Amino acid sequence: MSTERWKDDEALLESLRKGAPGAVDELLRLYQGKIFNLAMSILKNESDAEEAAQDVFMTVIRKADTFQGNSAFYSWIYRICVNTCLMRLRGKRRNETVSIEEFMPVFTDEGMHTSPMDDWSKEVERDALNEELGRMIRKYTEELSEKYRVVFVLSDVEGLSNEETARILGLTVPAIKSRLHRARLYLREQLSRYLREGKAG
Amino acid sequence: MNCKELAYMLADYCNGLMDPRLREELDVHLAKCEPCMAFTKTFQATCEKTRKLREEIEYAIPPDVCERLETFVRSAALKYPEKVEEYRDQVERDRREKVAGLVRAATSGNLSSAMALLAESHCAACPECREYFDALRNTGTPGAGEPPEGVRSHLIALMQALPPGEEFFLA
Ligand SMILES: [Zn+2]
Repeated sequence: MSTERWKDDEALLESLRKGAPGAVDELLRLYQGKIFNLAMSILKNESDAEEAAQDVFMTVIRKADTFQGNSAFYSWIYRICVNTCLMRLRGKRRNETVSIEEFMPVFTDEGMHTSPMDDWSKEVERDALNEELGRMIRKYTEELSEKYRVVFVLSDVEGLSNEETARILGLTVPAIKSRLHRARLYLREQLSRYLREGKAG
Repeated sequence: MNCKELAYMLADYCNGLMDPRLREELDVHLAKCEPCMAFTKTFQATCEKTRKLREEIEYAIPPDVCERLETFVRSAALKYPEKVEEYRDQVERDRREKVAGLVRAATSGNLSSAMALLAESHCAACPECREYFDALRNTGTPGAGEPPEGVRSHLIALMQALPPGEEFFLA
């Protein structure tokens, strides 16, 4: 995180606390795009994301007073956003999520692969496949359970570092790494199955 | 190194953060194991595709959403000073309820595993809280009234440290 952003955030928090004029405008200017984007990545629905963003900003304004400053401001606001979105997801009846275990690689007792592997890495380099693959990756990501999806969204979609993601979610860096790795193994396997079926069909 | 170990080390391998000796070991395995080679290449392709996708999708906030959001937040913020006291009371009430819930759960041994872990590592470093938790477990009844202020503020911090989506009690 740049020191610039740090300074901006510190000043912003201070003016929010004081109720200084323009503080809310500054908050919106700095964060409304980011918060809407993150809410969209988790909720995948524009009107849900809009309502979530409203909630997030109200919570930030109300709680600016009680924010303890032991974490960076941006990680606090991202965390409020993740919590708000998860609460919304829980309130809805969601599509069933898949069990990630079914997509983990299988090994023999000696730790060897049980079957030959298809190498489709060259195949997916074709630009013609990009749109379709993008759609499938989004679909498979949405089917992940919250625990993995949130980590995946913050790291691979928002492009945050493992340290930043850990801070936002209140998890350790090894826990983030492990969830992220499992989410990627899952995606690899889903894509394998998808491409195999495509060939068969 | 076997195939399983290799599969779980791929993240570091792909982002170039792997210790050179380990990397060499991994390369030796890759060179003689066809399934692992295919696995590694397709894993890398998966990461690459998601990275590209990330560069492409940036949900731009639509102008009408942006306008509504600004209007809503500004007008709510204007009313905010009148409501400050009300909000503070609400926050305080919520906290008191949560602390009471946590004390109840700790007494009856119903802390979620995430919370139990947090509490345990905190108590290892904080004698005051350790004593408080020990007393709860031993007597089996929550102490009369609220925990002492020092403990109370630590309990609040612990609950705030809980990862999103995790509860402090067992469902
Ligand atoms: Zn192998």
